Amino acid sequence: MIRGILTCSALISAIFFPWPFTAFLALVSSPIEPFLPFASGIFLDTLYYTPSTGIPPFFAITGAIVTLIAFSVRSRVRTGIIKR
Amino acid sequence: MKKTFLAKRNAFLSSAKIPWSGFALIVVALLFLVRFFAPNLFWQMLAPLFHSADSLAAESHAFFSGFGNNTKLSLQNESLVNENTALANENQALLQKDASLEALLGSPTSEKNMPSEILAGVVARPPETPYDTLVLAAGAQAGVALGQEVFGAGDVPIGVISTVFSDFSRATLFSSPGVRIAGWAGPTDIPLTITGSGAGTMNAKLPRSASIAVGDIIFGPGPGMFPIGKVTRIDSNPTSSAVTLRITPALDLFSVSWVTVRGVSTALLNALSQATSTLP
Repeated sequence: MIRGILTCSALISAIFFPWPFTAFLALVSSPIEPFLPFASGIFLDTLYYTPSTGIPPFFAITGAIVTLIAFSVRSRVRTGIIKR
Repeated sequence: MKKTFLAKRNAFLSSAKIPWSGFALIVVALLFLVRFFAPNLFWQMLAPLFHSADSLAAESHAFFSGFGNNTKLSLQNESLVNENTALANENQALLQKDASLEALLGSPTSEKNMPSEILAGVVARPPETPYDTLVLAAGAQAGVALGQEVFGAGDVPIGVISTVFSDFSRATLFSSPGVRIAGWAGPTDIPLTITGSGAGTMNAKLPRSASIAVGDIIFGPGPGMFPIGKVTRIDSNPTSSAVTLRITPALDLFSVSWVTVRGVSTALLNALSQATSTLP
């Protein structure tokens, strides 16, 4: 249930709060919900990204990187528990 | 008889294994497709949410301001300072315009030839919008066109229309990273290139010999000379022959609730870096 609340909060905060709050929620939730940073990044860029400024979609790229890191960390942590 | 095998198989097949963020990713991907293929529908769906976010922010602001007189007074003070800044900017612009016209024509002229302007409500603004953009509740149907200049209260130029949908449009602010516009600085109108540096701020480089001081007004592009901000800091490196001006906008971009849109400018359109992406 907590996971669901965290996921919904992160997405809704993209509309109701400044983006650093969304980024914080996504980052904090990433160990238990690894896809969330990527989903939040895509959502932020879907809402606000303007291609005409010539800058890359920063949030989708950063979200993808954080998601990859979260998966990597999770796999290492799981392996460690099994080995014990 | 135990049914361990079946239970395990059911657990494997059930959706409980899919994380919440996986569902979120699917929903977001669907929203992205809607935005890509039907951008107007996308903004029509989300505009009520943005409006409720606005009203929530206003109500919470009113709630917290009711706790003490000091807070009330500081808010009133903030509002008066903003109003004063807007009026001072307007006055500066009028004086500059008057002086320019008098120098050119010898006598003041009326503003009969000013293009008609479109009043647009702001749906989303910084700091919610991370790329220094505004989402406006006026689109092609209201007469908004690509390249039109966006003005805030007191005729302060703040950006340019970069995307137009049927009922909505998006304005890229001059403070958006990557945006470069021409402008003038100080009482002697020194030409300079203003570069957006994000979070509502701008930078410009000038030779050290240019006589610019903190507090000097920076004028932006547009019909007439309108102040877009003022110099709040001058950074200089002893090894460099140039100084960097840190410019803060004349208008608080974080609380702008309406803007006017007028005058298509190809120069402003060119000021925006052209990207290869075709995302609307």
